[in-house]
Amino acid sequence: MSDTPKPGLAALIKVPQYASLVLLVIVLGTFAALNGDFLSPLNVSNMLAFLPELGIIALGMTLLLTAGEFDLSVGATFGLVPVVVMLLVQNAGVDLGLALVIGLAICVLIGLINGLIVTKIGISSFLVTLSMLMIIRGAALYITQGFPLASWDQPGIFVTLLAGDFYIGPFRVYASIFWFAVLSGLAGYLLNRAKIGNWISAIGSNRNAAVARGVPADKVKVWLFVLTSVLAGLAGMISAFRISTASPVAGTGYELEVIAMVVVGGTALNGGRGTILGTVVGALMLRGIRNGIVLIGVPGLAYNIFVGAVILGMLMLHAALQNSGRKG
Amino acid sequence: MKRIVTAFTVAASLWAGAAAAQDKPTFYLLSHGGPSDAFWIDWNRGATDACTQLAVTCNISFSGGDMAAQKEAFNSAIAAKPQGIATTSAQPGLWTEEVAAARAAGIPVVFFNTDDTSTGRQGYVGADLRSAGVQWAQYLVDNKMVKAGDTVFMPVEVPGASYQVLETEGIASVFDPLGVKYDVVEAGTDPAGIIAKMTDYMVANKPVAMIGLGDSVMSSVKQVFDGAGLSAGAIPVVGWGNSKTTAEAVRDGYVNAAAWQFPSAQGFMPVALLKLAAAGEPIGYNIETFSLYDKASVDPILKLYEAE
Repeated sequence: MSDTPKPGLAALIKVPQYASLVLLVIVLGTFAALNGDFLSPLNVSNMLAFLPELGIIALGMTLLLTAGEFDLSVGATFGLVPVVVMLLVQNAGVDLGLALVIGLAICVLIGLINGLIVTKIGISSFLVTLSMLMIIRGAALYITQGFPLASWDQPGIFVTLLAGDFYIGPFRVYASIFWFAVLSGLAGYLLNRAKIGNWISAIGSNRNAAVARGVPADKVKVWLFVLTSVLAGLAGMISAFRISTASPVAGTGYELEVIAMVVVGGTALNGGRGTILGTVVGALMLRGIRNGIVLIGVPGLAYNIFVGAVILGMLMLHAALQNSGRKG
Repeated sequence: MKRIVTAFTVAASLWAGAAAAQDKPTFYLLSHGGPSDAFWIDWNRGATDACTQLAVTCNISFSGGDMAAQKEAFNSAIAAKPQGIATTSAQPGLWTEEVAAARAAGIPVVFFNTDDTSTGRQGYVGADLRSAGVQWAQYLVDNKMVKAGDTVFMPVEVPGASYQVLETEGIASVFDPLGVKYDVVEAGTDPAGIIAKMTDYMVANKPVAMIGLGDSVMSSVKQVFDGAGLSAGAIPVVGWGNSKTTAEAVRDGYVNAAAWQFPSAQGFMPVALLKLAAAGEPIGYNIETFSLYDKASVDPILKLYEAE
């Protein structure tokens, strides 16, 4: 008989992502108990439809936060890319595939500008990406004159690949959930198994020490900004195809929602510690909370009070669980 | 002598023509909308038709939602001393100083599409938002679609915006005495967020009816019904209908009645009012361009959108 104690709940909740998982079960269980429709196939399908769009952006944000940086321009990038793609297709007659490539190239450019200004000029990523948010949102409004464009509502390979839907039993499933799953797996691999994951954590913990050990900190950060922008643009295209609308105001406020998902999941806001599993859990939790608050019958104009209070409560519980885990 | 008379006649005609051109009134028409938007395209057509038919010179500008740009255009218009200015007023209080300055300079001012009575403008062409609320609520009551104790779902993009306040006042004036309740719900401006929030609400609360207080929420109705597992016509829906998507939803039975603002008339009528004012006629009255359309009357609106 081994003397090693079996890992119990107390040991599990020392790990941030498992603490988040415990909280997710509590949240889902509570809403399910309060309203039987919460776990109905229809409601679960609706929750999963919107989840990947925010979740994909959250994956990039997790890596960036782990490296100790923010990107507040993700919501604006989410809105800009579909607008540019649809303008190219509808007004300039560009092929949809080429337009998508141009849209993603714009994301690369945005990420490069963010990353280079942050690393080479040394301005805080909070300020750089806040400015970029305004530039991108302004550009989207200017080129559309503030009005939404009719999106691509014809069936085709890109629409099917990014936002096609089908039924598994009573559940309506969108292709975007598979993108989210695959990208989560890749991001998890990068962060936990690849050398670059160690570099990202090392940069976020102590940049100078990481650089002294030969980690190309600036290069890594620049590419993380690029990756985050590209994921935001991809999520924007998925959303535009799913709802058949490209709006210049799409993605408004997503940057804070995504940061909340990442932090609720257990990634440290000040860098050095990140978890992709926690981010997936955080995305599920935030979406579950927003959906559940509506389902339990909170008055329409009081939603945000409850959503804010529940998120705050979850963060406090998360901190308490982790503190008790450390003391234990 | 005959030559002299002919020369005199030609000269007189040329002078009269030049004088007539000089007397041709000039109006400035300032819109907060964008020239590529379907509503404003039709508005522009109405305005330019009026300018041609009434033989006036019109300087039309769009500010694409940029209030500062529209303000600059208004002040430039005052400086040009035209015979009239017509403008939208998307933000209360925006034109208080400009209208006073224009009136002081003897320039008649007419508002269209969105009003601000506190400015002292001389006329208004467009919908009365409070009246819109009354008509939506009355439609549901008259068609026995709601009764005392029912709760009507009222999604809106921006709660507290003047359009929501005025429309809800109108709705309350009909529903409150009858004991019909209503729930104003913030849907936001992000299209995917609007659909998610409205779908969640429908699944959770199974409302008996819906009044969409803005065009963005109304243009999401079909997708919300699909997401909530509801068939077309499962619950009555009324609200704004100034978009192709909503007109199609009316045709397909998802929306019972939608409000149309007659954009072409909103372009034509302000020019007509200003022409009257330029001729010395008093114009202290409003022209309402608003009606509900349904499945039986949606075709002209769909044709209008399809033509664009």
